[in-house]
Amino acid sequence: MLELRNVTKRFSGIAAVDNVSFTARPGEVTGYLGPNGSGKSTTMKMITGLIEKTSGEILFEGEFIQRDLIAYKQRMGYVPEEPYLYPHLSGLEYLVMVGQLRGLPSKLTAERIDGLLRLFSLYGDRHMPISSYSKGMRQKILLSAALLHNPDLILLDEPFSGLDVASAQVVRSLIRELAARGKVVLFSSHELEVVERVCSHVVILHRGKLVADDSIERLRTLMALPTLEDIFSQLAVEQDTVAVSRQIADLILA
Amino acid sequence: MNKQQFRVLYREFLFRMVDLEILAPQGETSKLLGQFAALLIFVSLWLSFVAGLMSAGRTNPVAGLLITWVAGHFLVATTMLAVGLFAVMSWDSTFPDRRDVLVLFPLPIRARTLLLAKIAAVATALGITVLSLNVFTGIIAPAASASAIGVLPLARSFAAYWIATFAAGVFIFCGVLTVQGLAQLLPRQKFLRISSFLQMGFFVLLLTVYFLQPPFSDVADLLRNQRMLYWVPSYWYFGLFQELAGSTLPGAGLLARRALMGLAIVACGAAASYFLCYWRTLRQIAEQPDILPDRSGLRWLPRFGNSFQTAVVQFSIRTLLRSRQHRVILSFYLGIALGLAMFLSSGPALRQFALENGPWYRVNTSLMVASIIILCFAVLGMRVVFSLPLEIRANWIFRVASHAGAGPCLAASRCTFYTLALLPVWIAAAALFFWFWPRQIAAEHLALLAALGIGIAEVGLYGFHKIPFTCAYLPGKLHFNMAIVYLVLFLLSVTWGAELEMRAFHEPALYAAVLVGLMAAAAVTRWRTAAQVGSEEAILRFDEVPEPAIYALDLHRDGVTPLP
Repeated sequence: MLELRNVTKRFSGIAAVDNVSFTARPGEVTGYLGPNGSGKSTTMKMITGLIEKTSGEILFEGEFIQRDLIAYKQRMGYVPEEPYLYPHLSGLEYLVMVGQLRGLPSKLTAERIDGLLRLFSLYGDRHMPISSYSKGMRQKILLSAALLHNPDLILLDEPFSGLDVASAQVVRSLIRELAARGKVVLFSSHELEVVERVCSHVVILHRGKLVADDSIERLRTLMALPTLEDIFSQLAVEQDTVAVSRQIADLILA
Repeated sequence: MNKQQFRVLYREFLFRMVDLEILAPQGETSKLLGQFAALLIFVSLWLSFVAGLMSAGRTNPVAGLLITWVAGHFLVATTMLAVGLFAVMSWDSTFPDRRDVLVLFPLPIRARTLLLAKIAAVATALGITVLSLNVFTGIIAPAASASAIGVLPLARSFAAYWIATFAAGVFIFCGVLTVQGLAQLLPRQKFLRISSFLQMGFFVLLLTVYFLQPPFSDVADLLRNQRMLYWVPSYWYFGLFQELAGSTLPGAGLLARRALMGLAIVACGAAASYFLCYWRTLRQIAEQPDILPDRSGLRWLPRFGNSFQTAVVQFSIRTLLRSRQHRVILSFYLGIALGLAMFLSSGPALRQFALENGPWYRVNTSLMVASIIILCFAVLGMRVVFSLPLEIRANWIFRVASHAGAGPCLAASRCTFYTLALLPVWIAAAALFFWFWPRQIAAEHLALLAALGIGIAEVGLYGFHKIPFTCAYLPGKLHFNMAIVYLVLFLLSVTWGAELEMRAFHEPALYAAVLVGLMAAAAVTRWRTAAQVGSEEAILRFDEVPEPAIYALDLHRDGVTPLP
């Protein structure tokens, strides 16, 4: 179980994440939602240990992650929002390097990489430099790197970015499958329809503050709204989107 | 041409002559460029100081004239080298690249505007380089070279110097552009393939010509070597300087004509290159990928210690083999080392040795000095390239997946250092010395070389709490202004050390003392590096942190704890 308790992150005194608390449980996919700049990726980076929190506590399976960050990282897989990879390495070389960094036995690494590359339809391009990969192929490499060591906690920040329809369907099913097999999955996305289909529980952030933390079903009932998009609009969208679009059209046509 | 677009693009291209992505978040481009200009200005100050001393010490007019000619040729040759190195370092910035095309072509910008802004930025950078390098020497040298006393001869000499040095700089820069232009006639992906080899080739050519060109020693020498000098560009522009200044240098007119002819040819070549870029390359860039996918590259690499070390060393080897930017910087150091070694090996001492003892490859101090210089510069160059990142934003994987602290990281960096810097140089030296020298002497020299190499590698690793190629670079940490002083001290020490080693070959006790001394020094530096990485402050770094502007002394009264 991943637990955040009153986590705050300030940049130059300004709170990007403000007193956020929630829990992601094994067996369920927790959706982490919010508009641009709401603090989603900052939270993800704090959970991965990439940036330090200003205050609060992050626990995984009852242990403070900072107590043994190395052991925690061994159990975590992360797909970042931007597909930053080393372009001079081939897909295979990159995954082998990740396996070595994680200290996996070389035979096991080779078997898993082979399997992942085949299942993600990258096997034929495994010796190509990543610089020649499409965005979707890079995303598959990131997913493979995140799952290579069979992590217990999986953090996915916009995992569908650049994927084609078939690959997106595979990843969607994969996320559900991993959760069903007892993994803790925290999933951040702007695609609310996908979130609605994949997640059982959502956390919504607005301007760095938590505005909702419940199951989608319960939120629907409580707010008397039919879809997650309506709930999200009500909680986290301040603008009248139709009016804004009209204003933009007026501005450029004037 | 849209003037506003031109101004915006010009500024953008000028500041992109250096790779901005390697800089740490706190790093400033202006600081890096300022450091580069400061280095050139410092060299100029140093050279003008030496030239001033030489002029002050002249005993008669003939000797004085000779000194001004020697100094004049040296300054022109050094300007050409500096501009050439700058042209090679900014190889990818001289023509619009893929990013320029993909970002700017969807905008309503004419290709002509884009190209003109690029040319203007390149010309400005070239001008700054020549100006910075000659800011002091450009006053001293013309004053010393003036054909007569008076305002007019002085003004003529001044104009002649600046015209000749700028022409020399333009010649080299346009020469590089012409070669790139010719290569652009190839299919785009073939051009990209050979481009890095051309860049390295130019690099080696510049340093080789600079260090091995016949030095100007006297007029008789000049007359004797006339045919050869007509093929050395630095003499053409030196001749142009003398011809414009109204000097009595024999053959100056012919050299000046060569200079102008050469300038005209490369200027036409450079213009044709940009024309070709305008008509052909810009379109190709948009249509074809920048890097040709390569299936036949080096795939298998051995294991190096534990899995973390293996990951770091293999990553470093692949990065060095595949990153042109890093290879060029390493070549810069190796080129200087080779140049210095060749310069020292072709010096009067070795000529004298050859006359007395036979072929150059017999046991002699010059070869010892050469091997030590190359080893030291290989380690220094490797240390510098390790500090420059590749694709800085991709280093998150090391932060997330790596479970090693500064200690294992040091072990991995050490393994990388030894594998990439020490071992290749040592093996090459072993092959050379065992081939030419008696086995015992070769083995003795190689043992000393190994101990010295380990010592300097450990010095290089001190405070290096990074994974090679993954930490952002913060400009302003290198003390370029002391580089010449360090270089002179280094060369003196190496020469002294080689002479000591030569004596030690005949005195076993002395040899044992030297070897033990070097091994002890290597052991101490290794212990010091290991002790530092074991301290609490040693953490693995991915961003360079600037030195604090204020240091807290933590002074407080006894028994009173300072406030947090």
